[in-house]
Amino acid sequence: MSWILDIFRRRALYNDLSEEIRGHLEERTEQIMREGMSHKEAEQAARRAFGNRTVLEERSREVWQWPTLESIWADVRYAIRQFKNSPGFSVTVILSLTLGLGANTTIFTFVNALLLRPPAVQDGGRLVEVLRHDAQASGIEAYSNLSYPGYADLRDHNRSLSGFAAFDGDGRTVSWSHNGQGEMVYGQLVSSNFFSVLGVEPALGRFFQPDEDKGGSSAPTVVISHSFWQRRFGGDRAVLGRVLTLNGAGYTVVGVTPASFNGVIIGFRHDFWTTLAMTPILIHDRDRMGSDTSSWLFGVGRLKPGVSKNEAQADLTVLTRNEHSSDRHAAVMDATAFPLQLMPGPVRGYVAAFTGMLMAAVGLVLLIACANAANLVLARATTRHRELAVRSALGATRFRIIRQALTESLILSMMGGAGGLLIAWWSIPALLRLTPATIPVSIEAPLDWRVFAFTFVASLLSGIVFGVLPALRSARRDLVPALKDGRQLAGPRRSRLRGSLVVAQITVCLVLLISAGLCVRSLINARSIDPGFSTHDIAVAQLNPGGLGYTEAQDRQFYQLLLERVRALPGVSSASLSDYLPLGTSRTVHDVQIDRVNPPPGQDFIPVQVAYVAPDFFRTMGVPLLNGRDYLPQDAEPKSGKVIINQAMASHYWPGQNPIGQHFKDHQQTVEIVGVAKTGKYRTLSEDPLDFMYLPLGPQPQEFLVVRTGAGEDAALREIRKVIQNLDPNVVPMEMETISQYMALPLFAARTTGVLLAVFGSVALLLATIGLSGIVSYSVTQRTNEIGVRMALGADRLDVVRLILKQGMRLTGIGLVLGLALSFAATRVLAGLLYGIKPGDPLTFAGVSVFLGLVAFISCYLPARRAASIDPMRSLRAE
Amino acid sequence: MTNSNARDLFPGALELMILESLRRQPAHGYALVQHIQQRSNNLLQVEEGSLYPALQRLLKAKLVKAEWGVSSTNRRVRTYEITAAGIRHLEQEISSFERMFEGIALVLNPAKSPAN
Repeated sequence: MSWILDIFRRRALYNDLSEEIRGHLEERTEQIMREGMSHKEAEQAARRAFGNRTVLEERSREVWQWPTLESIWADVRYAIRQFKNSPGFSVTVILSLTLGLGANTTIFTFVNALLLRPPAVQDGGRLVEVLRHDAQASGIEAYSNLSYPGYADLRDHNRSLSGFAAFDGDGRTVSWSHNGQGEMVYGQLVSSNFFSVLGVEPALGRFFQPDEDKGGSSAPTVVISHSFWQRRFGGDRAVLGRVLTLNGAGYTVVGVTPASFNGVIIGFRHDFWTTLAMTPILIHDRDRMGSDTSSWLFGVGRLKPGVSKNEAQADLTVLTRNEHSSDRHAAVMDATAFPLQLMPGPVRGYVAAFTGMLMAAVGLVLLIACANAANLVLARATTRHRELAVRSALGATRFRIIRQALTESLILSMMGGAGGLLIAWWSIPALLRLTPATIPVSIEAPLDWRVFAFTFVASLLSGIVFGVLPALRSARRDLVPALKDGRQLAGPRRSRLRGSLVVAQITVCLVLLISAGLCVRSLINARSIDPGFSTHDIAVAQLNPGGLGYTEAQDRQFYQLLLERVRALPGVSSASLSDYLPLGTSRTVHDVQIDRVNPPPGQDFIPVQVAYVAPDFFRTMGVPLLNGRDYLPQDAEPKSGKVIINQAMASHYWPGQNPIGQHFKDHQQTVEIVGVAKTGKYRTLSEDPLDFMYLPLGPQPQEFLVVRTGAGEDAALREIRKVIQNLDPNVVPMEMETISQYMALPLFAARTTGVLLAVFGSVALLLATIGLSGIVSYSVTQRTNEIGVRMALGADRLDVVRLILKQGMRLTGIGLVLGLALSFAATRVLAGLLYGIKPGDPLTFAGVSVFLGLVAFISCYLPARRAASIDPMRSLRAE
Repeated sequence: MTNSNARDLFPGALELMILESLRRQPAHGYALVQHIQQRSNNLLQVEEGSLYPALQRLLKAKLVKAEWGVSSTNRRVRTYEITAAGIRHLEQEISSFERMFEGIALVLNPAKSPAN
């Protein structure tokens, strides 16, 4: 460990060296003097013969150091000293970068959470997600899940997978009855080989036995998640063997998953897993397991050694096609395999496009921040040129000076990166709160090593991007004038470079602001779109007593009592039931035949979307009935044959006629139109008017309770919850929310994009303003003399203001023109997210440009006014 | 500038000459420079100062050792002495240097090369 000793001996070593060299020079001088020179001449000659003493001494010292490491450390210390000398500069650069890197880190954290984080399984690279794909359809609709018989067929006959598991694509919300109360918990149905195919080991107990899938013999079992175990059982090992009552049936806890495992599909919170064989008991759906047409399972296969994903896909496709050979759609259904990721394969592309757009936006913000930093560093370099000249004169090489400059910018960018991580750490929980509160999604967005690596690389790159140009520039200079008078004139090249940086900032800023402007306006538009129902004073609850195994009669009685009691609550003016809420995620379409009306080409029927509603639904939801009447209780009797259609459907098929009393065929049943409701929005807010019909609601296991309340929906929600609890404590409302909370979902994508772009746009604006006013103020400082001379020669204050403004506004003008051109191209990307506004909306383009121009004008005007107040005498005297 | 010419020495040549000089007799820095310049008939113009980084490298590698003493001219000087490791290193280097020189000579004078 001699190097440790070396460190302590170093000072002595250095002293020895200096003394030795001094001795050497003395001896040489004496010798030369003996040859007859004067002392002074001899001294100079000796030094010439010796070479550059400083450099040689330094190089000798370096022998004892870890040269790169230690000189870098020296650079770092020097840089920090420099920052302390000019805290204003350092803080501005660091803050600029913090904003830029913070935005990037935040968005990347979401990209990481949604697309990059792998599921916590063993050797995940060999796992594939298997779905069916309709080769004739396109887009996301072409993919469908597997049915149970379809899955079983692939599992038993494939030759490419060493194990093939399946899981229910929907999370199941289940009522857990304990202590006489119901609690909502989330579970997933999985094949019994699910955990073994994934290669997950239990933290406690065991996972499912192979035969538990077959059902029948063995008692129902569940595996619970680590977090559920900790949360509800305090991590008690005695949980094994306990029986949980889920949706009315008992399940024995056999195992606990490891803490890292939270399923293999994003967004669900998992409290427990049970086997597919439990489907009829857990969700009271007896037909599902045997049905060929229920598509509800994701397949997860582990590739056999040496088999590629594509080979497996081919193998499974052959099986899928055989399975459907009797089917009309036979040849077109393929199997498709994706690498197993938390985000299902078919939607990855869409998520990537959306997050990619956000990444592009924050990338632009970072570019602006870098331009700002570069500008500040360049400005400071001009005040430091004397220091640099002295360093070069003392023997610093070009490389050494560039390295020093880069070290400084890297330190700044790393501090910006650290700040960025802080911003992300603070803003991510805030952003997660933007997700609709009532949906049981749990997106984990941790700051893991990928995020740290990303931020590190982004900081490094930013440091290089904004540091390299000023660094190269600082090394390329003529020493003599710099040393002589210590002042340098603002050369045209330097200011041209800084000017183009400002132009770039304005350009990028305009692109961001226009995009943000479009999104915000579209959000305002979307809010003002009439969805066709009232968006306030309504409370909504989704109930599923059928999940507890209610019979039809019990169902009917439950809902009847529920409606009676809810209607009696204070402030409630009406209440009703339906199987559907507009703008929700589910959709039912019926085949309809209308006399004298031809179905769309290639189809035998007219498809019409349908909802089942109870009496009073229209009044409660605030959907106006334009014609006819509402349902009466007796309409719900089977074979009553009444229907209410919307205005769009009425004018479509009975133009110019009174639709009331007309008949048409819904499936095989003839129905009579008794009412016409106003057309609303059913699938998306941006859709064109759709045909829609309402049928009378019979007893259904799962229904929405809608309640018209006065003001104070929240108080009403609490009262409604009490009513439900009194009726049956084990019925847990799956969703209870006000209608405005419900509306958060359809507006989610637009709202998030709007909020984020507005934030990024403001940051960009702030940065660009700092950049512009920075360069203008700087040029005022540089041109103090010139201004003084001009004023002495008779220029008045207005001339000076004009002079300075001209410079700043010229840059702004160029930036705006470039920015407009770029925006026309860039905003095309947004088209799909915009409601009621075109990507090239002239009003937004013009408005934002004028706004940015005004802000730029103000940020130039302030320094210009300062220039105008220069006292010519003082500035000339300073010369 | 002169110091770029001095670099014409191949890497390690200066160290080799220092070690060889020290094998003959221990010396301090100034004496070493004198010795090398005289021995090379002033053909090698070594920049005097460049001796010191080389000496530090040799010290660090423990090929020489140094001690403060008093010179013949009654001057406080730091005298360097070659170590046993230094002698071994020097011999290896000389033989490899000779082989290299032989190789270069053969390439430059192909006529004299043995059987080909």
